[in-house]
Amino acid sequence: MKGTHLGEFQEIVLLTILVLDDDAYGVTIKREINQRVKRSISRGALHTALTRLEEKGFITSKQGETNPERGGRPKRYYTVSNRGIEALQEAKELRDQLWSQIPKLKLQQPYTG
Amino acid sequence: MKEKTHTPPLFYTRLFRWFCKEDIYDELQGDLDEEFVLNIQEFGIHKARRLYKKEVIKMVRPSIIKSINAQYTSNNHTAMFKNYSIVALRNLGRNKLFSSINIIGLAISMVVGLIAIAFVTEMYSYDDFHEKGDRIYRVVNTRTPLNQTPSEYATTSVLTGRRLASDFGGFEAIAPIYRGFSGNMTYGDVTIIQGGIYTNNDFFKMFSFPLVAGNPETALSEPYSVVLTEATAKKLFNRTDVVGEVIEYSNGDQLKVTGVARDAPFHSHIRFDAIGSLETLITKNSSVVTSWGSMWSSYVYVLLPEGAKPENYQTSLDQLAKEENEKVKRYQIAMGLEPMNSIVPGDGKYNQMYTIMPKENLKSITILALIVIISACFNYTNLSIARSVKRGKEVGVRKVVGARKTHLFAQFVIEAIFVAILALGIALLLFQVVRPGFLTLNFYMDRTTRLELTPIMYLYFFGFSLSIGFLAGFVPALLMSKLKPVSILKGISTIKSSRRVDLRKILIGLQFTLSMGFAVLVSLASKQYKFALNYDLGFNTENVLNVDVQGNDLELLKAAFRKVPEVKGVSTSSMVPSTGSSNSDYARYKDPTDSAIAYTVDVTPEYLDNMGHELIAGSNFREGETQDKIIINELMAKRLKIGTPAEALGQSLHFYDKNWTIIGVVKDFHHGTVNDKVEPFGFTSGRSNHYNLNLKLMSADITSTMSKLEDAWSEVDQLHDFSAIFYEDQIERTYSEISASIKTFGLLAGVAICISILGLLGMAVYTTESRVKELTIRKVLGASVSNLVLLLSKGFMPLFIISAAIAIPAAYLMFERTIVQYAVYKINVGIWELSGGALLVIGIAFLTIGSQAAKAAKMNPAQNLRDQ
Repeated sequence: MKGTHLGEFQEIVLLTILVLDDDAYGVTIKREINQRVKRSISRGALHTALTRLEEKGFITSKQGETNPERGGRPKRYYTVSNRGIEALQEAKELRDQLWSQIPKLKLQQPYTG
Repeated sequence: MKEKTHTPPLFYTRLFRWFCKEDIYDELQGDLDEEFVLNIQEFGIHKARRLYKKEVIKMVRPSIIKSINAQYTSNNHTAMFKNYSIVALRNLGRNKLFSSINIIGLAISMVVGLIAIAFVTEMYSYDDFHEKGDRIYRVVNTRTPLNQTPSEYATTSVLTGRRLASDFGGFEAIAPIYRGFSGNMTYGDVTIIQGGIYTNNDFFKMFSFPLVAGNPETALSEPYSVVLTEATAKKLFNRTDVVGEVIEYSNGDQLKVTGVARDAPFHSHIRFDAIGSLETLITKNSSVVTSWGSMWSSYVYVLLPEGAKPENYQTSLDQLAKEENEKVKRYQIAMGLEPMNSIVPGDGKYNQMYTIMPKENLKSITILALIVIISACFNYTNLSIARSVKRGKEVGVRKVVGARKTHLFAQFVIEAIFVAILALGIALLLFQVVRPGFLTLNFYMDRTTRLELTPIMYLYFFGFSLSIGFLAGFVPALLMSKLKPVSILKGISTIKSSRRVDLRKILIGLQFTLSMGFAVLVSLASKQYKFALNYDLGFNTENVLNVDVQGNDLELLKAAFRKVPEVKGVSTSSMVPSTGSSNSDYARYKDPTDSAIAYTVDVTPEYLDNMGHELIAGSNFREGETQDKIIINELMAKRLKIGTPAEALGQSLHFYDKNWTIIGVVKDFHHGTVNDKVEPFGFTSGRSNHYNLNLKLMSADITSTMSKLEDAWSEVDQLHDFSAIFYEDQIERTYSEISASIKTFGLLAGVAICISILGLLGMAVYTTESRVKELTIRKVLGASVSNLVLLLSKGFMPLFIISAAIAIPAAYLMFERTIVQYAVYKINVGIWELSGGALLVIGIAFLTIGSQAAKAAKMNPAQNLRDQ
């Protein structure tokens, strides 16, 4: 299972890190996702995703500065690696390809009985 | 204050600190804190705290929590376990005396535990073989006679079953069972005696009693059909393919065999040799199947549909009872449903179908076993604590090298479990030795229990010994693992704390209280038992053999037995007095308002001579002139104010609805057991059937006489076996309950005393060993051996006195409450009866201590001082 496969949640995390650019650490990533995707994720779930991504080599992390709210504990900043960007692009291409194959897109009328 | 409320919930912070991996803790805790501050600004303190808690809870995931093996690899675990095992074994080998005390003590107590486990498991496994067992219920009756207290019966009228089937719905199957299908069955020239039941086809639908031949759906549809068990078929036909054969029943009915059933398992509360169809009784219109009042030997079992609640059927039962109760006046019957699974062990209902072990027996045996086991665990605890001084060094070194508290705790618990498993091995052997004795303990055991070991029981035993090991090793392990390495390694003298000595003393004290209590109880019970057996009944039971008549012609039997030269006298009686059975009515003399309950036995004229009853006035019955004549005892004359024995002769009594003329007065005698008072009594002759034949024997060789008597019996009856018992044995059997108590308590007393003496031996050895130097110096300075023995024993004396002070009253109370609860005539309990058992235990204890002390005191002082 390990390898280049990108889960949906992992994809969102990667994109969020890219959006946040050089301010991507635990709290900001979590808040960004909560706001944009309108889904409440926990810091624990985020940690799991970040660990997986790091294991796959899609992101790298480095220890950063701290602030008083953190009680002197340093932040850890995440940045997307080249492999991560490649993986994102691959995922996007796959989708675009699929989209282009669809003959005619029509929204079905919701069934009303 | 404000500052404080703005901190995250302390407990959750700590919790997170505890379970979070070290290397990611800083990052995550920082994020949590930062977000907490942001949340306070956004949502306020309360929601922020709530969100924080939620976040922490959601942190519990494999990627975040510490792994259990994170600090030590699993390799290390097995290595340490190996090491613990080796150390445990070495320790057992090094202290052979202590090890054997521990192992034997635990093994002895474990036997009691094993028996209790096997026994309780067996009782609860009763009736487990029925596939639909959880849906089967029995209708039970609570019968309240007019102006009397209600009694609960396991029985119900057959009518209830029939009416539930015809007038009330909702049952999947209803099987009324009537117990009275017993008697002889004849096929060709083979006749057997069997005990069976009458029931219907629903019986097979409900219970898992499979048929090996015949159709279970129709086998009992027709009147005069019968289903035999395989065993019965083999006895009667010597084969089992017997469907279609016709056999003759003792009442003359021709019964057609319609099926053969597999024999009922031993652990079934329903047992039968043959099953007759209930239709037979219905065809005959027997009152058994039509009367609401005949509820004494019939049962109704119902099978409820899947998912049905038994409570929902109560209204039907109440309705039925109401309708039927209206037709009778003298009693009222209420009905209820009892789940089949709770029939065994029994809760004391009358008229059970088969002997059922009462719940109380289970309870008492479990409690007694627990007491004994805990006592043995005390031993282990005690000795281990005592030896902790020596083991302390090992603990110190282990701690210095890096062992943690939990490791040491595990080590000592594992050691205790080791000992417990060794003890289990010995206990299993002992179990086989004790088993036959336990099974013959009393009437109930014999009939209901087998104590066969099944795999599941071995599993229970193993689990049991593990928990015993843990129980025994818990306290020492706790104490040992708490020892401080510095103080141990500095010197052993520093770890002697007074508190621990107290704990040991309390444990020993408890053990001795138990031992003494049991010992006193046993001595009281056995005295009462001997008292009951040797009680002067007022007539002579010596050399009297009581023969069960078993329905034979009395005159034929009498004639046959008279031919045996050793038989000096032959009489018959309706029952055997002094063995617990009685027959009574209210008797009246002239005053119609004054009546007294009087007991009677119907006898033949020879009876009074045979039993050596002493006539004070009047004469015995004369053959042929016995009608309406009565011989009373002195008390009857006194109680009904008839006057002196001589005056009573020729007077008339009203009794059993007619008038009786007194022709004689006998000296008072005991017609009941020690539980009954002597009451007014009368002998009648020719009033009722006689079931007992009393032979007065005069024989030097009892075995040859018995075989002659057997021959005489078989001249008259070839079918039944000769069944006879000496009067004295019969009385002994009457008190079997006391003798069972004596056996039980005797065994437990033995076990408890063994265990406590073993423990004491261990303690004595330990005390003398640790004081060898002191003793030697005392000896050198001139102390005599007896001085030293006294010195060592002195410490135990207050312990024993306190134990005795608790044990003796407790045992006496127990004796009064259980063994002689109903006895009218009982032993005089004096100082010796009470203190005898306790003194015995104390005596043995001092012998144990003294022998150790003397051994130490007699040693050559030079040797001891050189060794130290």
